[in-house]
Amino acid sequence: MTLAMSHAPGKTSGSMTGTGARLNLHRYAAWAIIALIVVVQVYPLLWILLTALRPAQEFAAGDAFALPSSLTLDNFVRAFAQGNLGRFLFNSIIVTVAADALIVLLGMMAAYAIQVIGFKWSRVVLGLFLIGIIVPAHVTLVPLFLNYRNLGLLNSYWSIIVPLVGFSLPMSVYLFQSFYSYISRELYDAATIDGAGPYRIFLLITAPMSVNTVVTVVFVNTIFIWNDFIFANTFVLDKNMKTVPLGLQSYMGAMGSIDWTATFAAVCVTVTPLLLALLVLNRAIIYGIQGGATKG
Amino acid sequence: MLTYRNRLAVAVFLAPPLLAYLVAVVLPIGQSLYLSLFKWDGLSDPRFIGLGNYSKMLTADPAFWASLLHSLVYLVITLIFQLGLALLVANLLTYAGKGREVIKTLVVLPAIVSTVAIALLFRRLYAFDPPGLINDLLSWVGLGALARPWLSDLSTVMSAVSIPEGWRFFGIYMLILYGGLLAVPRDLEEAAKLDGANEWQVFLFVRFPYLRPVWITTAIMATTYALRGFDVPYLLTNGGPGQASELLTTYMYKTAFANTNFGYASALSVAIVVECLIAVGAILLLVRRRGFSV
Repeated sequence: MTLAMSHAPGKTSGSMTGTGARLNLHRYAAWAIIALIVVVQVYPLLWILLTALRPAQEFAAGDAFALPSSLTLDNFVRAFAQGNLGRFLFNSIIVTVAADALIVLLGMMAAYAIQVIGFKWSRVVLGLFLIGIIVPAHVTLVPLFLNYRNLGLLNSYWSIIVPLVGFSLPMSVYLFQSFYSYISRELYDAATIDGAGPYRIFLLITAPMSVNTVVTVVFVNTIFIWNDFIFANTFVLDKNMKTVPLGLQSYMGAMGSIDWTATFAAVCVTVTPLLLALLVLNRAIIYGIQGGATKG
Repeated sequence: MLTYRNRLAVAVFLAPPLLAYLVAVVLPIGQSLYLSLFKWDGLSDPRFIGLGNYSKMLTADPAFWASLLHSLVYLVITLIFQLGLALLVANLLTYAGKGREVIKTLVVLPAIVSTVAIALLFRRLYAFDPPGLINDLLSWVGLGALARPWLSDLSTVMSAVSIPEGWRFFGIYMLILYGGLLAVPRDLEEAAKLDGANEWQVFLFVRFPYLRPVWITTAIMATTYALRGFDVPYLLTNGGPGQASELLTTYMYKTAFANTNFGYASALSVAIVVECLIAVGAILLLVRRRGFSV
C-alpha cells in the first residue's frame, strides 16, 4: 500500500506519563492489552518461520503449533528444488527494480515541471495525478488485458510494470512535489545567474536534494510491487514469467497434498528482502508513517 | 521571467510521466466506461446495448446486491480493526513508556508480507481437520463446541475472509493515529486533569477532538483500501462457498476473466469506482454536517 509518508523524521515521542499512583492501574491494563496485540500481530509470523524450520513429518503428524523437536533446513532445499523459486525471485527483482526506477524518475520529473518550473495549468495537472490515488485498480484490468492482447504484451515484464508505475505515480508525484515546495527559490535564482538552465538545475540541484524522499518512495513502492498479486495474476500466465506472489500461489493451488513446510520456507525466503529493508530503515520508516497524517 | 522557466522544459519534464499515467490509468478508465455500454465476450463482435448492463446490474442481478452487501460487511470488519482497535492501542501506547519503539516495529511487520503468504497462513490457522490454531485454542480454553471449519461455514466465512485484511494493516493505522496523539498539547491534558478529569475523560474531551483531522484522514484511507479489498478473499475462498463471501471486486474479476463477459464486468468495475467515491463523499458529508473541520 502507499502511504502519505513525510520525509524528515517527525517529532520524537514525548513522554505522556503523568504523575501519581492512580496511573499505575492504567499502566498495567495498557501493558496487558498491548502485549496481547503484539502476540496477535507477531505470533503468526513467528509460526511461519518455525514451520519452515520444522521437519516435514512432524508437521504432517499433527501438533503443528507445538515447538519443533528439531530444526532443519531441508524445507528450504525442497522449496528451491520443487517450486522454481529462483526464477520467481529473478522475475520479481527485474519488475521491482524497473518499476521503482520509473516511479522515482517520472515522479521527480512531473514534480519538477509542476512545482519548480511552473506553468499556467500546473495545479490542474497535479489534481489529475492526485485523483489516481483513490482509483481502484479493478477499473483498469479489462481494458489493459485487451490492450495487451492486441499488442502481444501479455506474459511480459512490461504488462506488470506499466500499471504498477501508473498507480504509484500519483503518490510519488505528490511526495516529490510537496518536498520541492520547501526548496528555496533563491537557490534556483542563484544557479540561473551562474548560467544553469532547467536541465542542469534538475540534475545538479533538485535531484540530489531529493534523496530522503527517494528512500521513502522506493521503500513504500517496493512493498507494493514485490507483493503485487492482481496485475501479475491477470496479465501473466506463463510459468517462466511468474513473480514471487504467483509462484507462492502455485504451491497452494495444487490439489491433493501440499508440501506445507516447503511452502512456508518459500514464504520466508521471499519476505526476507523486505524484512531487511524494514530493519535497516526502521527509524525513518516508523517516524515517516507516524508523522504522515499530521503533516499531510 | 527566469531563463530556466521555459515552455520547452515543461514539455520535456512533463510529457513522459503524463504519458505513462495516461496510458496506464486514464485511458483504461475511459475504455472501461465505453466497454460498459456493450455486450461482449471478447471474441465475437461487441453489441452496443446502451445502459443495458447498468439496468441489469441494478434491477435483475441479485448477485450484484449480495456482493455489494458483502463488500460493506468486509468494510465494517476491517474498520473495526483499523480505526477502532487501532485507536484504542494507539492511546494505550502513549502510557507505555519504555519498549515503545520495539512495539511500533513489531506491529507493522504483517504489512510487508504478501497477500498470498497471508492467505496460506490463514488457511492453516482456520483449518478444521487437522485443527488449526484457532480451533486448537478454542478446545484448549474449553470452548471446543465452537470449533468449526471457519472458511466453509456460511455464518463465519465473511468474518474469516475480512479479519486478515484488518489484521495486516492494523499496525500502519495504529502508528498514524499514535503520531496524531503525540501532537496533542501536553498542557491541555494537564489542565484537564487538574480540573479532575479521569483518563477516559481526557481521551474523550481533549485527545479525541484534537485527533479528529488525523482520524478522518485515516478513515478515508482505510475505507477506500477496504472497498478495493480483493486478494485475501479471492485466494482464501474465491468468493465461496457458493457466493457467500463474494465481494464486488471478486465478482467483477470472475465476470471478466472466468466468464469473459467483458461488457458487464466493465459496468461492475465502474460500480466499484462509484462505490469508493460515494464512501469518501459520505465521510466528508458526515464530517461537515457535524461541524468538524477537516
